[in-house]
Amino acid sequence: MAVNYDPALINKVFEVTEPVEVKAEKIKRYCAALGETNPIYTDEVAAKEGPYGGIVAPPSFAVTFRNGRHFFENVPRFGRRGFDAGKDVEFVSPIRPGDQVTLSSHVKEIYEKTGRTGTMVFVVIRSTLKNQKDEVLAHIDHRFMNRT
Amino acid sequence: MNKFEEINIGDTLGPLELFVSKDQCRAYARIIGMGEGAGRFTDDEAAKKEGLPGMIIPGNMSLGLLSKLVTDWIGSSNAWLSRMNTTYRVPVQPDRTITIHGFITNKNPADRTAEIDVWMENEEAERLVTGTATVEFRK
Repeated sequence: MAVNYDPALINKVFEVTEPVEVKAEKIKRYCAALGETNPIYTDEVAAKEGPYGGIVAPPSFAVTFRNGRHFFENVPRFGRRGFDAGKDVEFVSPIRPGDQVTLSSHVKEIYEKTGRTGTMVFVVIRSTLKNQKDEVLAHIDHRFMNRT
Repeated sequence: MNKFEEINIGDTLGPLELFVSKDQCRAYARIIGMGEGAGRFTDDEAAKKEGLPGMIIPGNMSLGLLSKLVTDWIGSSNAWLSRMNTTYRVPVQPDRTITIHGFITNKNPADRTAEIDVWMENEEAERLVTGTATVEFRK
């Protein structure tokens, strides 16, 4: 059985967040929590000599930006409560201290899958991160799984 | 530094053995604003109320740790982790030893990329989080 949903939902941006400034201090705390010691993320002098000419955030810092206030109410639900099944992140450009980051989110796709444990509906929400120069920093595909 | 010409399918990354403490887990949760309202990442009792065995590590933190395996391998070269696709299979609990592994599954000379399977195991060799990473070896 095909899953029913309004096709107008797909690709329609439902939320754009206010810009959030990337603080060097937050990158430092993020690195400490992950046990990250690579000097291109942590040491200004060494980072200057590195491939990005200064400190950048570890790529996975892209997932630390909060979704907008209305994010979860815009995630279509099917059956029982959905949960976070995984993320597919495309890292496009390095995130740097001083960047003003916005996230815009839309439903990318909705599909059904039947496995050993029954039928599941997957909802994929894509959030695109941009900086103040309108450069894309990353695309994050959030995969939510609902059991029907 | 790893050069594209010198890597091969079947090469391994890691293993990276880690002990993620509850405090480290809480620190991560606070940084990404999960400190409040998501007790499962900060408090055993709150997690148990949700039917979990105790506190769990945020999925994003697992993604960060899997990414770290790859960026450690890249070091300070200009190779770029361009993609990380993760699947959260089993909740990951703090205060235990976890091991992160990587394995090169494909190498594409046309666009100078390598595909790497990455995964996180517990002490029983159960795969908790799995993923695929893509690294671009920029010239």
